[in-house]
Amino acid sequence: MLRNFLSTPFIKLEDVSTIYEGEKIPAIRDINLTVHQGEMVAIIGPNGAGKTTLLETINGLLPCTAGKVEVLGKDVKKYGSYIRRKTGYVPQEITFAELTPFLVEDVILMGRFGKIGLFKSPTRSDYEKVREVMKLLEIQDLAKKPIGKLSGGQVQKVMIARALAKEPQILLLDEPFSNLDLNALSDISRKISYLHTELNLTTLMVIHNVASIPPSCDRVILINQGRIVEDKLSRKMLNLKHLKRLYRLNL
Amino acid sequence: MILLPLNIITTTLIGASLAGVACSLIGVFVVRMKLSSLGFCMSHAAFAGAALGLTLSFNPLLMAMIFSLTSALLLGPVAEKAKLHPDVILGVMFSLMLALGLIFLSLAPGTAMTSSALGILWGSVLGIGKMDLLQLGVFTGITLGLIVLFSKEFQAIMFSRKLAEASGINTKPFFYVILFLTGITIALTLKLIGGLLVFALVVNPASSVYQFFYDIKKIILISPLVGVGYCMLGILISLLFDFPVGSSIAIVSSICFGASVVLSPKRKRG
Repeated sequence: MLRNFLSTPFIKLEDVSTIYEGEKIPAIRDINLTVHQGEMVAIIGPNGAGKTTLLETINGLLPCTAGKVEVLGKDVKKYGSYIRRKTGYVPQEITFAELTPFLVEDVILMGRFGKIGLFKSPTRSDYEKVREVMKLLEIQDLAKKPIGKLSGGQVQKVMIARALAKEPQILLLDEPFSNLDLNALSDISRKISYLHTELNLTTLMVIHNVASIPPSCDRVILINQGRIVEDKLSRKMLNLKHLKRLYRLNL
Repeated sequence: MILLPLNIITTTLIGASLAGVACSLIGVFVVRMKLSSLGFCMSHAAFAGAALGLTLSFNPLLMAMIFSLTSALLLGPVAEKAKLHPDVILGVMFSLMLALGLIFLSLAPGTAMTSSALGILWGSVLGIGKMDLLQLGVFTGITLGLIVLFSKEFQAIMFSRKLAEASGINTKPFFYVILFLTGITIALTLKLIGGLLVFALVVNPASSVYQFFYDIKKIILISPLVGVGYCMLGILISLLFDFPVGSSIAIVSSICFGASVVLSPKRKRG
């Protein structure tokens, strides 16, 4: 915890609300959140609570309608593209049509395109980084495969590799364990924990199933109806009372 | 069979090759990004613009470009945010633009259906002059240059616009460049292929090549060659049977697309 007092926050939201175009009610409202370097934070909540909106407000894919979002010390409204070049994002349940004309290695390399910048071509070091992340996620044998031919777990690993290829300072994962069988779930969970503990990667992940929160997770946030209802819970502190309150379950 | 002077045949073949390259390159984007409805509307807007140009005795090419680009600018944000189903855009805009084009043609001075009026409807082997060739050549060069210069950004956007944005690429200018190139390509090839059928040359070659490859880089490289092939075959049939050139290219490219779906290794099991 001491590091939190010493370091500048990597992510800071002050009274943030986000309303989708054409809607009247904010999908997230009055959010105050600070995440420090090296923290792993899990965000849980029922469907439609605003978890994805929160992630996409942080990386600026969705512009906030009130409040202020600062990532890596910069205002997301002004420096959105810059922040997204330094933030890996894995969206929720991404699927590809079977005939999608893109190979796995190209999909991963694309993660670096923003970082490479305009008017420049990928260099040898870019391709080396792609090989490195494929090795890390043990997907080297998929390099020349079409993305549409992969299983759900394989696609998830490719998307994580793509997010890591840019050597991000922050990793945002939206339900990384959805639609995975137990083997794939534990495999990807181990990989995410490794990235956090060994590489000190600041990680925010939306998780639907409370049981799949990785053991190395520092903090759990509960969100409901667009508001943070509990912050600074540890994984161990999370109990039936919280879940009852959050999901309105009669357990 | 029609016999034409060699210089006209040469001009037509060069024009058709350039049209094949430009339209097919644009087609790779249009097909992958599901912009067919928008492109179809743009081609009919170009037709309406050219028809108005003929009526007003004002440069039809310029009018075609203005109409095509205006429709892109108006419909671009709609397509961008997918707020209207593509079928709705297609249903409303296609009939509106066709109706406007036909009204403009009926108001054209002199005999309404002159050869130039018919040319913009169906396309004409004789429609291309040296100036058209120069314009088409310069524009095809610009299109190729832009695709090479921003190949990684275009590839990322074709894969997934949202993921491209998430990787730090500002996708909006590139999206509008694609619409702009589509609009100009359609306007410039209007005389050869005709406003009603130009979109066949945009969609069919790229769609055929998509049936055979999983690597987008190969699709970008091969589609223009296939586009040129379809144009040459279409012109040959047009000259042999005295068919309108646009119709011939549309028929040839549609048959070849059908064959490529049947032969596609991507659709075979095992």
